[in-house]
Amino acid sequence: MKEYFEKLKGVLGNKVKDFGVDGTEYSVLLVDKKLLKTAAEIIRQDFDVLFMLAVADYKPKFELNYVFSSYDKPDTIVIRTYITDRDYSIDTLTEVFDSANWEEREAYDLFGIKFNKHPDLRRILLPEDWPGHPLRKDFVVTDEVRNWTGLDLKF
Amino acid sequence: MENDEEMKKDEFSYPGMGEIIFMKTEKFIENVLNWGRRNSLWPLTFGTSCCAIEMMPFGTTKVDSDRMGVLFIGDSPRQADMILVSGTITKKMARRLLNVYEQMPDPKYVIAVGACNVSGGLYHDSYNTIHGIDKIMPVDVFIPGCPPRPEEFMDAVRVLQKLIKENRSKAQMDHERIL
Repeated sequence: MKEYFEKLKGVLGNKVKDFGVDGTEYSVLLVDKKLLKTAAEIIRQDFDVLFMLAVADYKPKFELNYVFSSYDKPDTIVIRTYITDRDYSIDTLTEVFDSANWEEREAYDLFGIKFNKHPDLRRILLPEDWPGHPLRKDFVVTDEVRNWTGLDLKF
Repeated sequence: MENDEEMKKDEFSYPGMGEIIFMKTEKFIENVLNWGRRNSLWPLTFGTSCCAIEMMPFGTTKVDSDRMGVLFIGDSPRQADMILVSGTITKKMARRLLNVYEQMPDPKYVIAVGACNVSGGLYHDSYNTIHGIDKIMPVDVFIPGCPPRPEEFMDAVRVLQKLIKENRSKAQMDHERIL
C-alpha cells in the first residue's frame, strides 16, 4: 500500500499528504487541484478504473473524492482534493480514465462543478432545462421547484 | 294529473319527434360501444418501480385479469385502451410518459397506481418527482397503497368499467364524442 504513495510523492513532492490506510483503502490528500491529472496518470500505472467520484459541499468549498480500484488487486486508493475557487472548475480525467465521463457529468449535474475540457458535459440525471444544482447546500426546495415540470401541458 | 297529461302530450305529439328517435339511436350505439370498450380493456403497462412488481400478479392465475377482458398482450401504446402508471414518475420520466400517452388511440383511460402517483407519497418533499400524476394527465382511477395489492388492480378495473358504462370517464367527459 505504501508504495503507491511513495510513487506519487516522488513526482509531486510535498503537494500530496498521507491520510493513512483503512482496510484496503488508502487515502491521499492532494493539496493543489491543478496536479490532479498528473496524479491520475501516475495512478493509472497501477489501477484500472475510476469507480466513484464522491463530492461533498462544505461551503464555500467542495470536497472531491476520486476512488480508484484495480481488477486484479484488492487495493483501493482515494485521492481527495478541494475546490475553493469561485468558478468551481477542475480538470477532467476523461483522457486518463474513460469511466470518469459519466461520473463527472453527474457531479456537474448535481453540484454544478465545471470540468475543463470534458468532451460531453451535459446533465445526466435531471432534465436538460432544470434550473439549478440540487445537491448544493444553498439550493432551497421551494414550492416553485416542487411543482416545476418543464412541460407544455395541453389539458 | 296535469303533469301526467303534459307528459303524455310531450311523449306522443312533440314536434321534433324524429330527433328523439335519432337521439335514442345514438344512445343505443353509444351503449353498445361502451359495452365493448369496458369489457375489452387492453392495458399498457408503464412500470417504473415497486408497484410494477405488484402489477405482474394481476395478469397471472391467482388474480386473473383475463376474465375481465384485461389482456396483457404486447405492450404497444398503439393498441392500448388504458395505461397503468405504476411507480414513481420523475420529472425526466414525465416527458416520456406523456410521449407514450399521446400515442394511444382515443378513448384512453388512465389508472394511477400507488401513493407516488396519487400525491407524491414517500417523495412528497422531493425536488425531482411529480407529486401526483393528475398534475400532468387526466386520471380516471387512483389506487392508493405503497404498493397496492394485486386485488386492488381488479377493483380499479371494476371502477373504471362502471365509469365507462355511465359515461363518466375523463376521456368521455373531456373530449368530443366520437359519434
